[in-house]
Amino acid sequence: MIGWWSRASIRVRLTAWYMAVLCLMLLAYATATFIAVRHEFREQFELEHDGAALEYPPGQTDEERLQAQLREILVVMALGLPPIVALAGLGGYVLARRALAPIDRLASEAHRITADRLHERLSVPNPNDEIGRLAGVINETLARLESSFDQLRRFTADASHELRTPLSVIRGIGEIGLGQTRTPAEYKEAMGSMLEEVDRLTRLVDTLLRLSSGDAGTIRLSREWVDLGELTRDIVSSLGILAEERNQRVRLDVGEHVRVIADRLVLREAITNVIDNAIKYGPVGSAIDVRVRRDGEEGVVSIADQGGGIPAAHRDRIFDRFYRIDEARSRASGGTGLGLAIAKWAVEVNGGRISVDATQPGAVFQIRLPVVVATTDTARTS
Amino acid sequence: MRVLVVEDERKLAQVLASALEAERYEVVVAATGEDGFFRANAELFDLVLLDLMLPGRSGLEILQTLRQRHIETPVLILTARDGVDDRVLGLDLGADDYLIKPFALPELLARIRALLRRGRPSEVLRLKAADLELDLLTRRAARGDRLLDLTGREFELLEYLLRHQGHLVSREMLAREVWKEPRRATPLDNVIDVQMTRLRKKVDADGSARLIHTVRGVGFVLREGEP
Repeated sequence: MIGWWSRASIRVRLTAWYMAVLCLMLLAYATATFIAVRHEFREQFELEHDGAALEYPPGQTDEERLQAQLREILVVMALGLPPIVALAGLGGYVLARRALAPIDRLASEAHRITADRLHERLSVPNPNDEIGRLAGVINETLARLESSFDQLRRFTADASHELRTPLSVIRGIGEIGLGQTRTPAEYKEAMGSMLEEVDRLTRLVDTLLRLSSGDAGTIRLSREWVDLGELTRDIVSSLGILAEERNQRVRLDVGEHVRVIADRLVLREAITNVIDNAIKYGPVGSAIDVRVRRDGEEGVVSIADQGGGIPAAHRDRIFDRFYRIDEARSRASGGTGLGLAIAKWAVEVNGGRISVDATQPGAVFQIRLPVVVATTDTARTS
Repeated sequence: MRVLVVEDERKLAQVLASALEAERYEVVVAATGEDGFFRANAELFDLVLLDLMLPGRSGLEILQTLRQRHIETPVLILTARDGVDDRVLGLDLGADDYLIKPFALPELLARIRALLRRGRPSEVLRLKAADLELDLLTRRAARGDRLLDLTGREFELLEYLLRHQGHLVSREMLAREVWKEPRRATPLDNVIDVQMTRLRKKVDADGSARLIHTVRGVGFVLREGEP
């Protein structure tokens, strides 16, 4: 019984409580009325049997007596009603207060949680009732908020770190260059090196701005029909030269036509980054398999390399901004650590998702996008 | 050729002025919006380089007034804002081209040359530098009497370098003009570098004088003799 009571929702508990209170009050009211009526009937009974009408003025007819009795009952009922209503009201008030008290507590708890104390959670005394569920939902929201705050914090810290590196290189080269007189060739070398770093900085800032406008949702997409196979073929032929340099073969397998609605440039960037990644991390002389096919309601581009795969510890984080598995190697190849983050962002703004499957040797990246429904498809092309 | 540079950032104005003077343009610098506005209205220029964010009078205002008075001097906008709206607004108000800061000087110079060339189409069918010859009609390339076996992309790349011969060409320009990619990404930079290496092997092969030079941190230049 107690178990059921604590599991029941507030709605049920409140109803049960109120029914009980109402029952009690009605019982009291009915009892009072019953006693009054019984008293009247008794009097009348005595009157009729004793024959002597002492209490009633003589000359009264039976009907008049009946009327008087009914009036008396009415008075009793009328007098009984206000205290009963008052009692019921009091009961209701106590009930409502008990039921709503947790909301006040919730409010004051929520009030304490600020941006700096996002790790705190609301207490959930009973997870099954309405307030428990509300607290649960608020806690989930807080958890999401906390995780995006953390992400933002990490991102800002990482970004300033990344920006500082080229800045200190530029500064260092300048200081060394001016430290003593050098040959024109050395000056040229120094300036060229500075310009390279400036280029890196510029690109980094561009990318960061784009990611942040993506976060803020201010990016505008120009969606159009994109033939996924055609786009992929185009990218492969553009990047093919990089694979050739590493003696790799890119095997492209495009099945049926898969058409999606996407921003061509943004999507292009995603696929480019993933294929470029596969070329970079696939061993020299290996093959990279790029397949485009349709899987139910989705168009899938899968890119498989024969590299070392991705260690389980990194799998969840490789799409994070500035996350690198091999710090030194990524930097040496000119990576900003944002390639896959941009790819993820670019796929997601187009309504798709990107995932990595590393159960096989090597890594298989999958980009999935909702395909265009066949009916609209033919309507457009005709 | 007279160029008006309206730019309030003193260092940048200096850089622009010396870059333009090195290309033998006559440069007038206006450091405020008011000054720029006054000069653009009172004097004759072949081109105006206009910063959008200026103290006093904004670049867009200057542009608008110029166009309202039917002064059709080509205007190239320089802006730090990478918003589509700003660009569209600038072009709507009558700007001829725009560049987003930080821009590469080779790119700026190429844009200026293109603007000044405009209206005088010169359809060339043959491009030449030293003993390198490109026939755009038959798409044949030859170095002296050695025929070059170029892929389509290599031919386009060489054509672009030849059209800008003697001038620096940045990777950004190549990405946009040769690869037709409006957004430049790291993978494409690597593609450009590899492609350039291959092209150079073919063009500057067996003892011919080097024509294609890499300028570190800037890009490439096709030129006889040292860069």
